[in-house]
Amino acid sequence: MVAEAIVPSVDVGMTIEQIKATQIGMKAVGAGVAVGLTGIGTAVAEMGIGSAAVGAVAENKDMFGVALLFTVIPETIVIFGLVVALLVLFV
Amino acid sequence: MLAPKRMSRLLIAASRDQLSPVIAELYRHHLFHIEEYVDSGADGYEGFRIGAPLSGASEASTDLLKIRAIENAVSINAEDIEFRAVGARPELMAKIEWELPLLEREVEELTGRRLKLEIRVKELQQKIQEIMPFSEVPFDLDLLRGYKEFSVFAGYVAREPPLTVPSEVYFAKGKEKSFIIVIVLAVQRDAVEKALQGSAFLAVQIPEESGSAQKRITDYTGQIASAVEEISEIAKKLDEVKTKHAGFLVACEEVLRAEVEKTEAPLRFATTRQTFVAEGWVPSESVDAVSSDLVKATGGKIYVTVIPTDIEHDSVPVEYNNPSFAKPIQLFMDVYSRPKYTEVDPTLMLAIVFPLFFGLILGDFGYGLILLALAFVLGRFMKGEDGQQFLKVLRNASISTIIFGLLFSEFLGAKLLWEPLLPSRHLNIGGEATGHGAAIPDLMVLSLWIGILHITLGRVLGMYNHAKQDHGEHRTKTVMANFGWLAVMWGLVIAIWSFVPIPLMPDLRGLPAIMSGVAIGCIIGAVFIVLGVVFIARDAVLEVIELPTIISHVLSYTRLVAVGLSSVAIAMIVNYMSIEKLISPGLEDLSIVGILMILVGVVIFLLGHTLNVALGILGGGLHSIRLHYVEFFTKFYKGGGKKYVPFGMKRRFTEE
Repeated sequence: MVAEAIVPSVDVGMTIEQIKATQIGMKAVGAGVAVGLTGIGTAVAEMGIGSAAVGAVAENKDMFGVALLFTVIPETIVIFGLVVALLVLFV
Repeated sequence: MLAPKRMSRLLIAASRDQLSPVIAELYRHHLFHIEEYVDSGADGYEGFRIGAPLSGASEASTDLLKIRAIENAVSINAEDIEFRAVGARPELMAKIEWELPLLEREVEELTGRRLKLEIRVKELQQKIQEIMPFSEVPFDLDLLRGYKEFSVFAGYVAREPPLTVPSEVYFAKGKEKSFIIVIVLAVQRDAVEKALQGSAFLAVQIPEESGSAQKRITDYTGQIASAVEEISEIAKKLDEVKTKHAGFLVACEEVLRAEVEKTEAPLRFATTRQTFVAEGWVPSESVDAVSSDLVKATGGKIYVTVIPTDIEHDSVPVEYNNPSFAKPIQLFMDVYSRPKYTEVDPTLMLAIVFPLFFGLILGDFGYGLILLALAFVLGRFMKGEDGQQFLKVLRNASISTIIFGLLFSEFLGAKLLWEPLLPSRHLNIGGEATGHGAAIPDLMVLSLWIGILHITLGRVLGMYNHAKQDHGEHRTKTVMANFGWLAVMWGLVIAIWSFVPIPLMPDLRGLPAIMSGVAIGCIIGAVFIVLGVVFIARDAVLEVIELPTIISHVLSYTRLVAVGLSSVAIAMIVNYMSIEKLISPGLEDLSIVGILMILVGVVIFLLGHTLNVALGILGGGLHSIRLHYVEFFTKFYKGGGKKYVPFGMKRRFTEE
């Protein structure tokens, strides 16, 4: 809404429709960046945990549950990204 | 419920000639968790020694070893075999006497032959490997050996070496390396060696063979084939043994295992020359039954008594005490850790909330039905105890998914006939782009509410656990610290309410402002936070740096919505791609292209939804259980209890 209020005062050689479309596009880009970057963050974090977890499970099969649990702990990061993306797109 | 089964410590003392009836009786009851006697000269145990096995122990263990060896050889796994009683113990023991040695000889003979053949195959393969380089050589291999006056070189070179001495050379040019055989007078050996080294010579051993190389290779390949055939015949025979004797073998194993456990039980008791003493745990409700049966079995020549439990120092074995619907989820409790005897057992809460979370995440009528069917179909193939329990958890979760699917009005991502009763999760994708879209703020706030309440429950349980387990000043401090965490969380929530309006949450902005314009809600919130921090710091100052986890743990519950929405989005996109873009246009125009489009659409539909179901199980299951393990259990649950392992076994194939 703030952006729409600014529209008349900015003269960048675009029609209002174009500006609105750009705004929607930027939102989509933002959502994509949020999910993508957090995904990379999760991946980097899970990389180390995952390899250690596989090692632990190879040593002792009983570790499977805990290993799986440890591996998904960084999942929170990408979930936050997903939440932010949803907020950007729909709220 | 919410606490492990009450246990009583039982002390049994009798003369040594009563050992075997007592052990038999305890084994039959399958209730007595033996507290192993350690020869450490504990109070009241001076002069006691660890007992000796009963007679027959070594025979039984030898037979057990034999049976396990046979089972290994023919790869029988008791888990894979249907429950059925094969026979009674005396009958089986007799059979073991005269049938086992025969069976053992047969299997040993077969596996021995198989081993020999396998070694033979390896040898032949090795020989072929050695001859391989000479396969193109046009003369017999015996021409390369047995000279006194000549030296023979064979091997690979990078390029043809310039030879200055008189020699006989065979050279076969290859793509990367060429094969060369050089025969020279032994006296000129050095010169040739030098020349060969210059062209990167890699020597190959000259095989101890005669005749042409090609012929030898075919010969050996034939021998390998016949050996492999013989091996597969042996495998067939072993399979026959397996189908014929599997039931007998597992039953024998069970009988013998029971025999070994019984005869070796005295190793866990304290004995003197004339008497023995056994200590152990029995569920309090069964104490009377066990003691009276013991008295009966020994004709009253026994002393059985309950010794008072010292909660602080005894490590009491923990057995779950849950209603039957909560039993399957014990599997997930054991993955984390078994509860301690003194703490709250959260199994029941897990059994109720886990399916709710799962349903809230997946929440689709169609997927719920698929998972339910999957649970039943897999139930027919999975024989193991754990597998069955896991499927029961899946079944409960899928029922919850069906119910939430009806509430969310979702069927494979499409809308059912009615409007969703909960905030809508239908996104504006494809043909449904005309709808209102998903009520994402409402859903998010809903998940935050769940988080706040779940964490509050965890902290309250934490207060209860500390009040029960700790003593004195420490007890007050830890209970207050848990209260402090609650106060900080609720203080934050109240402060946020008095600044920002949030749907589905109270709006405290309207409250009158006091003290230079600061709203009352704000002040209450701040007081809560400060009070909370003080309480936390009084217990452990360093804990204060953990304060941000309050926010991250509550926000973590938004995964209930986020993961769910992503699965809805995948389902809707699959539907959009397959039905709207391919199948509907294809149906309108039933030409060859149209039919092709329908086929591709169906494939996309099936693949997409299969993938989404798999992701749904993973996402719904892992995230739900993780919310419990990480966000909920860390507030109150320690675990680390000792598992209750009663003496005896669940018979599957035999009768007493």
